[in-house]
Amino acid sequence: MGRLLLIAARNLRQNRRRTALLSAAVVAVTMLLVLLGSLGNGIQATLLEAGTAMITGHVNVGGFFKITSGMGSPVVVDAARTLADVKELAPEASRIVQRRRGFGKVVSESDTIQCALTGIDATNDEALRGILRIREGSLDNLDADGHSILLFEKQAERLNVSVGDDVTLSSQVVRGQTNAIQVRVGAIARDMGLLSIMSSYVSLDVIRDLYQLDPDTTGVILVYLDDPEQAGDVKARLREGLLARNHRLMEDEPDAFYHKFQQVAGEDWTGMKLDVTTWEDELANIQWTMKTFDTISSLLIGVLLVIVVIGVMNTMWITVRDRTREIGTLRAIGMGRFRVLVMFLLETVILSVLSALAGVLLGAGIAELLNSLRIPVSQGFQIFLMSDTLRLVVSPRSLLLAVVVVPLLTTFGALIPASRAARLRPVTAMQHAG
Amino acid sequence: MPLHMLTLTATLLLSAAAVPALALDADGMKKVLETIDERQRNAGDHKSLVYIQTKEKSREDVVMEAVVYRRDASDQFMILLLKPKAERGKGYLKIDKNFWMYDPTVGRWERRTERERIVGSDSRRADFDESRLAVEYASEYKGEEKLGKFTVHHIRLTEKPGADVPYPVTELWVDKETNNVLKRQDLAASGKLMRTVYTPKWKKVYSESKKEDVWYPAEIRIYDEVEKDNSTVVLIQEVDLRPLPENIFTKAWLESKSR
Repeated sequence: MGRLLLIAARNLRQNRRRTALLSAAVVAVTMLLVLLGSLGNGIQATLLEAGTAMITGHVNVGGFFKITSGMGSPVVVDAARTLADVKELAPEASRIVQRRRGFGKVVSESDTIQCALTGIDATNDEALRGILRIREGSLDNLDADGHSILLFEKQAERLNVSVGDDVTLSSQVVRGQTNAIQVRVGAIARDMGLLSIMSSYVSLDVIRDLYQLDPDTTGVILVYLDDPEQAGDVKARLREGLLARNHRLMEDEPDAFYHKFQQVAGEDWTGMKLDVTTWEDELANIQWTMKTFDTISSLLIGVLLVIVVIGVMNTMWITVRDRTREIGTLRAIGMGRFRVLVMFLLETVILSVLSALAGVLLGAGIAELLNSLRIPVSQGFQIFLMSDTLRLVVSPRSLLLAVVVVPLLTTFGALIPASRAARLRPVTAMQHAG
Repeated sequence: MPLHMLTLTATLLLSAAAVPALALDADGMKKVLETIDERQRNAGDHKSLVYIQTKEKSREDVVMEAVVYRRDASDQFMILLLKPKAERGKGYLKIDKNFWMYDPTVGRWERRTERERIVGSDSRRADFDESRLAVEYASEYKGEEKLGKFTVHHIRLTEKPGADVPYPVTELWVDKETNNVLKRQDLAASGKLMRTVYTPKWKKVYSESKKEDVWYPAEIRIYDEVEKDNSTVVLIQEVDLRPLPENIFTKAWLESKSR
């Protein structure tokens, strides 16, 4: 085997140009595989971090209150009792925070935008504090006067407002009347792509005043866990426990709360029903970005891999043709068919493994470099990437995948020419003119 | 004149200026509101052709043509849109306490709130419906004022519990001479001014069922006070008070007109 390895290495060295070209192709594809994988990981990581801070907890206890069967509001009444029950039923929670939910218009002198209005306890909402990058003002302003709003850059730009300016919030309230209140812009945060297009944050009191809610109400109780993987178990326990404590529960529907309005309005019940969801349920509709990205990158990588495999196959055909007389001689002096096959395959294995390793190292290095440069991305990409800068996360799993998959496929591409070489009859091969 | 007499005279004059002249008492106000309602009430059916022009910032003006059908005795109400082409066949129908919107492009009925904007304009269903001020609101007299050349009663109305009105508080400026409402300001629960409505032109049409004239605002100018660049003008024309077909206020009838 050692001798075969030596022969394979010698052949690669002798055909430097061919080897260099093939190596470059394999390095490039592996590097691209690593970079696209890292970009995908980056989006997934951002989605998890930002989504579970901005939109959802790891487990959420929300629900709808219906005055009439046709009109549901995302309000949890009897909030104090519900909160106490949630605390008891989820003792492993690392944090529990409350938010209020609303939707309406933000109107300035210049323009109007429509967005989800989330009432937050800015002082205690650590997840949100950790993820938002404040460009102007402070999140503390939201708690300081109780009537402030946090806008994202593009929203503030469109409304032509800055910190300290007043805007009007207008929304249809529980009985269908429109209410409007004036709030002050307390902070402007950097955009966060898809997650910041349709949402803004206000003080808890703003939502209460806008919707004229009783103080003992909330919108949703967000439960954060040290291990988000436990979310499913905690959700099941909460559902069971809340039912046992005489809370009415909605059917378990793994979907975001804002997708449930129509369904709830069509159901024939009034009063309060709680809804328990996990972060995966709430982000289900945003996961399409991941699926889209995965599909596009898989297609791209697939096409590139096919090109490389065809290139390897073609090169091996040429090699076999060039070395037909050599093969004949080797066969004549006693080398078996299998050893000829292995000799040719070893050339591809050495080339592809070394190139894939180089590609992985290069890809990981470029990913780190791009991260350190904090490259800003265009508005269109921001929506997709959910960040205003390029973020790549290199995972050992994707590196290992690249190192295994690329050599496997290229070796597979070399299998047919190598087996053809192994099948050559020594007499025929030695008579070859090539 | 002694100083104390001068002071007294000045005080009386100031008091006269501060206190509204001829203030209406509770009965007087109720009478004014009942008169407003009664002048617009029709004992039978109502059909009118309306034009709704909406102006919004950064959008082209839209003019819609619609027919409003009412049967006030049984609290039935319907709007059928005729123009523009994109909105043709769309309709609103009130059945009992429910307010429905029909969209012929998807062939679906959607339950809507009674207080929502009509076809995205600043108008509400109540703007096209019969006046029920005395029934739906508690009133407070704010004073007698001048509105341009008109002398008007300024009345503040607050919704009564359970009343189905688009705004909880409304202020009216009522022509003292004719009892026509000339100006109206609608306020949100927070006290914020939401819209100002002017009804400068009032017309009357003879009602066979009522055996007297029925008054209606021929022109309604609505100014959005939140989104200041938005406004709506509603022109009410061709008011017909003859009886409508019996089965007109049904989903099937509106759908048939939408085809």
